[in-house]
Amino acid sequence: MPHIEVLPNTGAAPAPGWAYVPDTGYDPSKVAFNPKDRKRQATRQGAVPTGVELSARQLTAVQRRIAELERDNDARSGIEIPNKKTTFKTSATKKILMSAKEIRHWLDDEDALLTNKAQAPGAGARAPAGRVIKPVIGARGRRGTLTATTVPSTPVQPSTPATNTPRALTPSVPAFPSSVAGSQDKTLEIRTAVPAPLDMEKLEALLAAPPLPYAAARVGPPAAGGPPQRLFCDTCGYWGRVKCLKCGARVCGLECKGKHDQSMCTRF
Amino acid sequence: MPPKGWRKAAHDPVATQTLVLDNGACTLKAGFASAAAAPSYDDCRIIPNCIAKGRDKRVYIASDLEKCTNFGEMAFRRPVERGFIVNWEAEKAIWEHEFLEGKGGLGCDPKETNLVLAEAPNCPVQLQKNCDEMVFEEFEFATYYRSIGPALNAYNDLPFSASDSPETSLLPPECLLLIDTSYSHTTITPLYNGRPIHSAIRRMSVGGKLLTNYLKELSSTRHINMLDETYLLNEIKEAVSFVSPSFKTDLERTWKGGLSDRREVDPSIVLDYVLPNYEHSAHGFARPHDPIKARRKLLQPLDGPREDILPVGNERFAVPELLFTPTDIGLQEAGLPEAIMQSLSVLPAALQAGMLANMVVVGGNSLIKGFMERLETDLRQLTPSNIPLRIARAPDPIKHTWLGGARLAHDRDILRSVVVTRAQYQERGSTWLGKWFAGGDAK
Repeated sequence: MPHIEVLPNTGAAPAPGWAYVPDTGYDPSKVAFNPKDRKRQATRQGAVPTGVELSARQLTAVQRRIAELERDNDARSGIEIPNKKTTFKTSATKKILMSAKEIRHWLDDEDALLTNKAQAPGAGARAPAGRVIKPVIGARGRRGTLTATTVPSTPVQPSTPATNTPRALTPSVPAFPSSVAGSQDKTLEIRTAVPAPLDMEKLEALLAAPPLPYAAARVGPPAAGGPPQRLFCDTCGYWGRVKCLKCGARVCGLECKGKHDQSMCTRF
Repeated sequence: MPPKGWRKAAHDPVATQTLVLDNGACTLKAGFASAAAAPSYDDCRIIPNCIAKGRDKRVYIASDLEKCTNFGEMAFRRPVERGFIVNWEAEKAIWEHEFLEGKGGLGCDPKETNLVLAEAPNCPVQLQKNCDEMVFEEFEFATYYRSIGPALNAYNDLPFSASDSPETSLLPPECLLLIDTSYSHTTITPLYNGRPIHSAIRRMSVGGKLLTNYLKELSSTRHINMLDETYLLNEIKEAVSFVSPSFKTDLERTWKGGLSDRREVDPSIVLDYVLPNYEHSAHGFARPHDPIKARRKLLQPLDGPREDILPVGNERFAVPELLFTPTDIGLQEAGLPEAIMQSLSVLPAALQAGMLANMVVVGGNSLIKGFMERLETDLRQLTPSNIPLRIARAPDPIKHTWLGGARLAHDRDILRSVVVTRAQYQERGSTWLGKWFAGGDAK
């Protein structure tokens, strides 16, 4: 892959509104809006681990469907506002009111701004929001390791959570019978059952942390060891036990396959 | 010589009346709060946050929709996308129609009113800036406080049984995990002493909008094309959907059987929804499935009372199931119980137990039958058995965020400490204001 970067020849910051964005490979969330090199992508295996074998074409279809389900405004309907006023109080509000940007434009802008900040020289010292994303990405699928980094592994002394607060509603963790503490069984060890006391400094840092960018706050995928993805009949919604050989859609039985072949199969 | 207008600055910049506004994507929750009387749910009005256009090309702005009787093929323009105010042109028209103009609306003079505005978490900074500029420059409110919606909920009493938290106080609880499952998305926000822990806020893409669209898609591919009937499908979703305690059994009960094995579908789950025809009825209703009537659909008289039926079977529980298993439509996100655990994994271990014991659910999706029971069962399976779980739905989950904001506005000392006056904004500008609301800068 050719390596492209902006050489810092002037001190001026790059113009707002556009940015070089690193090519991170196949990103299904972008493909739905903007498919590129269709022929090659259709044959390539999908890059997202789903537990279900999906070709890139099917993956794109799924992404497109989700984008359709998530859409707020109908693209076709242009509803004009009755008795619209065309006077504006200031130039700033004029710009805001005349803007025809949709949410995806704003989110793209935010993405570009963040990558820009992360790439700009000297920005690292200020710990930009790009830094904050990192643990979140790491958290996907392996939550255990992340908990280990925020919590000291060996509790200093077992105690209940802090109680010197205005409305201490935190119920204390039930104490174990003391006879169990000395036993050899590790699962009955009292030290592992009671959480470490609250570190006020760390908590203060956590509270002072800035909000995450929109994309970073998204929930991660389900844990790797969880149940596999469930598949449903496209026609009636029962379990999709049979796969259509032509288009790959799922159906539950012969009756639904007949309906599917008649009117719903996307390939002939 | 004193500067111009110095006499004005001498009087209290914080007005007596406060407009509390929870600007949701589907409905906006608005009402006045003052120091005089303690606010209640009754002070809040729910107004559709949209501009709608019917089949007859008539345009309805926000609450005008109440007068509408024909919702067929109604198209909606929503200024709020993904929970954030994006299209200010439409939002301004709605705000002016609802609060600012005298006729019919709340009739408020922004110059004599404080504004407490709830926004969705993780809003892009540029959109927040637009919002601030609109509030002070276009509407000219006297003072203004913008906060994420979940944080406002901390000012409410916890909705657990009275013996647990007898005192009514404005002090936020030490630990509160707020689950907001609303129209645009579902967010999980841990709050410590009323302050949100931003790095632990998580958002699921599944919300009421996605559920309605999914039901629309399912009904259209299986029965009748209803792709233009968003309003109707939303009504059907609210009327019939439920969260199944055991998805597999319910799916078996609604199956019609294979070719050789015809079984009876369970009439307690499969329903016929009688669609409104908008001539005699504006709203439909559900009744138990009647296979004979469904088959005789074509035999109905051409003139005379005809009725159109939408059979709803496994759609009833397969649609809200997306909140718990979004992977059913290929959405690579964890379900709500696991998302809660993901959010908690960022917190110190000592706080996790406190959060799990103080969970409050707000937002319209929590009204779906069986939602709370399923959430509690699934969470119990994910948490160690020695940690107590306590989860409750707010008494009115839709207005709860508004009530929190109103209680904040009711207490003048708290209100005074958080708001920014218009003079301060004019002096320091919108960039400072953004930082101030993010909690980074001193006043």
